[in-house]
Amino acid sequence: MREKTITITIDEQGKSTLDLEGFAGKGCERVFDDFRGGDLLKVERKKLDFYSRPQVEREKSQR
Amino acid sequence: MSKYGETQTVLHEEKFLLDALNEMGYQVEVHPEGAPLNSYYSEQEANVANIIIRRAQLPSAFGDVGFVRQPDGRFTLIEDELDDHSGYGRKWLGRVQQIYKESQTLAVAQAKGYHLKSRQVIETSEGKQVRLQFAVRR
Repeated sequence: MREKTITITIDEQGKSTLDLEGFAGKGCERVFDDFRGGDLLKVERKKLDFYSRPQVEREKSQR
Repeated sequence: MSKYGETQTVLHEEKFLLDALNEMGYQVEVHPEGAPLNSYYSEQEANVANIIIRRAQLPSAFGDVGFVRQPDGRFTLIEDELDDHSGYGRKWLGRVQQIYKESQTLAVAQAKGYHLKSRQVIETSEGKQVRLQFAVRR
């Protein structure tokens, strides 16, 4: 199983970047929201993993 | 990578704000009902703040610096107008936000069971960045 990692970079201007790897679907959203807290969201991008993992899970459940 | 985001820190939680200010070496006053700030010109109308750092602890400051809790729960910086250029303006606030966000992030991670893998301080042309990496054991 691929390791899930969360990388948060915080600068001296009060800005942060939040980078999630190995997550997918709602789990990804939940972790993102946990770390975002009440901060103002400036940029948000979903990556390939976000969409691909649930597909694999769906295929397994159909067998 | 599954998801990437950029955020601006909003000071919501008093505990982490107090932690940040303490870490910066300030002894702060907490006034849930608000207390007046002293400003450079005594004839100025006094601003009221909930968290106050008195001028005696702020080298080169013209007045006290404070944070006011807004109706939506955010804390906003309030200071003497002259202090925006004396070292207690946007740049100073950014440093407060940086320490606040690190404390908040570590607390969230602990509460949610995320394991801290590494903490790095990176020098950049725009100042120090703190990079925290967590792993998920499930």
